[in-house]
Amino acid sequence: MHFAIFFFFAAVAVIFALVVILHRNPVVGALSLVASFFALAVMYVLLEAPFLAALQVIVYAGAIMVLFLFVIMLLNLKHQVEPATRPIQQFLGYTGSALFGIALVYYLSKYAVTQLPSGPFVADARTVGIKLFEAYIFPFEMVSILLLAAIVGALLLSGRLSGRREVAE
Amino acid sequence: MPFDTADIVLEAIKIALVVGLLLNVVPVMVWVERRGSALIQDRLGPNRVGPFGLIQAMADALKFILKEDVIPEQAHKWLYTIAPMFGLIPALTTIAVVPWGRAFALPQSIVFTPALSAIVMGAALGAILLSIVVIVSTNRYRHREGATKLNTVIGFLVGAALLLGGLALIGVWAALKSAGMVSVPGAGHLFEPIIADVPVGILLIFALASLSVYGVVTAGWSSANKFSLFGGIRASAQMISYELALTLSAISALMVAGSLRLTDVVAKQTGYFVLFDTIKIPAWNCFSPAMWLSMIVFAVSAFAETNRLPFDFAEAEAELVAGYHTEYSSMKFAMFFMSEYIAMTTMSALVVTLFLGGWDIPWYNEPATFIGFLLSAIAFLAKVGLLLFIFVWVRWTIPRLKYDILMRVGWKCFLPLAVVNIVLVAWFIGMGWI
Repeated sequence: MHFAIFFFFAAVAVIFALVVILHRNPVVGALSLVASFFALAVMYVLLEAPFLAALQVIVYAGAIMVLFLFVIMLLNLKHQVEPATRPIQQFLGYTGSALFGIALVYYLSKYAVTQLPSGPFVADARTVGIKLFEAYIFPFEMVSILLLAAIVGALLLSGRLSGRREVAE
Repeated sequence: MPFDTADIVLEAIKIALVVGLLLNVVPVMVWVERRGSALIQDRLGPNRVGPFGLIQAMADALKFILKEDVIPEQAHKWLYTIAPMFGLIPALTTIAVVPWGRAFALPQSIVFTPALSAIVMGAALGAILLSIVVIVSTNRYRHREGATKLNTVIGFLVGAALLLGGLALIGVWAALKSAGMVSVPGAGHLFEPIIADVPVGILLIFALASLSVYGVVTAGWSSANKFSLFGGIRASAQMISYELALTLSAISALMVAGSLRLTDVVAKQTGYFVLFDTIKIPAWNCFSPAMWLSMIVFAVSAFAETNRLPFDFAEAEAELVAGYHTEYSSMKFAMFFMSEYIAMTTMSALVVTLFLGGWDIPWYNEPATFIGFLLSAIAFLAKVGLLLFIFVWVRWTIPRLKYDILMRVGWKCFLPLAVVNIVLVAWFIGMGWI
C-alpha cells in the first residue's frame, strides 16, 4: 500500500516538475510547481512526519507560490520569450547540468538510505521547535536577518525609502 | 496500522455522513440567505416552491445543471475548467479533522427501550408530517399563476421521498419492536466522530485553506477578462493578508490546549471555570479573559478569508461586475457558489471548535454512549448553525468597506492584536491562571 502511494506521488512530483521546466506558459508552470510541492508533502507523510508535510504545503504551496503567481499574473507574462543565447553559453549550460546530474545520481546511489532509522522517530511541533531554538538558533536568526534585508531591499528598489528622503530634502 | 472491516465501515459511514451534510448545507444556507435577506430588507423573498419556498434551492440546483456551459473563446480552457475544482476540494476536505461529537464505544447490542422507541417513532412521524406539508403546499403552488411544471415535479418528488423515508423508519421501528434486541456487528469498537484525528489537525486545515486561493486566482486569470483578473488578484491579496491574523489568533487556543490536535482543544474546554467557589462557567475559550480578543480577531478574519460581505471585494458587483467568476456559467458557477458556503461552514465549525467549546453542552456531562454522542453532535450543529446565521445577518446589515481600509485593518490592526494576544495568553499560562 505504502509502495503504491509512494510510486504514484513520486510520479506526480516528477511529471509536474518536468511540466514546470518544459511548458511555455509561466502560469501553468507555477501551478505545476504547486502540484509538485503537494506530492512532496505526501512523501513527508509517508515518512511519518506529518508536521513537516503540513509546513511544506503552508510555506511553499500556500505562501511562496501564491506570490510567484501574483507577480506572473500582474506582469501578464503570457508566453515565455526565448532569450538570445550564444552557442558557447548553451554548451556550458548543458554540460554543467549534465555533470551535476551525474554527480547527484552517483552520490545518491552511494549514500542511499534504504531504511528509516530505528527507534521512535518524532517530528512533531515540540521537537522541531526545541531543535530550532536550541541547536539551530544561529542559522535561524541568520535567515530572519536575511529576510529582513530582502524586505528593506525591496522597499529601497520600489523607491519608497528614497522618495521620502527627497521630500525631506 | 491494523485495520479490520468494522473500522473501514465506520470510517465510510462517517465520511458519507459528513460530506452529505456539508453538501446539503449549501441549499439550506441559500434558502436562509435569501429569506433572511428578505426579512432584513422587509421583502418576501422566494416563497413559491414548497413550504416557505424551502425547495427553491433544489429547483435552482436543477437549473444550474441544465444550463448551457459556456467557455469564453480567449480563456485558457484547462485552467478555466479546473479552477472551480481547486476551490471546492479544499473547502470539502478541511472538515475532516474537526471533531463533531463525543466518542462512544459501540454497544454489544441495541435493546428496544422506550427512549429509543420514541426517537425512531418521532423521526418517522416528523418525516411523514413534513412530506404532507410539502405535498399540500406543492399542490397549492401548482394552481398559482406562473407556476412551472419543473418546480411542481420537484416538489412532489421531495414530498414522496420524505414520505418513503418516514415509512421506512416505521418499518425499522416495527422490526426493532419485534426483535426486542439486535446484536451490533463490530461491538466494542470506539466510534470517534471525526474523520481523521491527525496530530497536526489545525495545521492541515490552514494548509488546505491556503490552497483555496488558487481556485480564485486561476479562475480570475484564465477567464481572459480584466474584471475577473482584478477580482482574482484582490481576493488573493485579501486572503493572504487575513490568513496571518487567522493563524496567529488560532495559536492562542492551541497554546492553552498544548496540542495541535483539535480533539485535545475540545477536551480542554469541557471543564468549568469556577468563580467565587459557586458560579460554574463552561471552560470555553471565549469565556477566558485572555481569549475573547483572539476569538473576535479570528471571527472577523474568517469573514475576510471566506470573501463574505463586508469583505467581498473579489466580487464587488458595483466595481467588478461579478469579480473572478464573471465569465462562469451553469455548474462551474454553482461550484464557486458551493465552495463559498462550504468554506463558511468549515470556518464556523472551526470557530466553534477553537473558541465555543466544540461539541460540549454547558452544565451537562455527556455520557459516553450513543445518546451522549447524539446530544453532543446536535449541540455542535446548533452552534455551527448559529454562526452561519450570524454570517448571513452581518452580510445584510453591514455595507462593504473600502479596499484600502480592509488591507490596513488586516495588517495594522488585526495582526498586532493577534500577536499581543499570544503574549497575553503566554503570560496567563506562565502565571498558572489558565
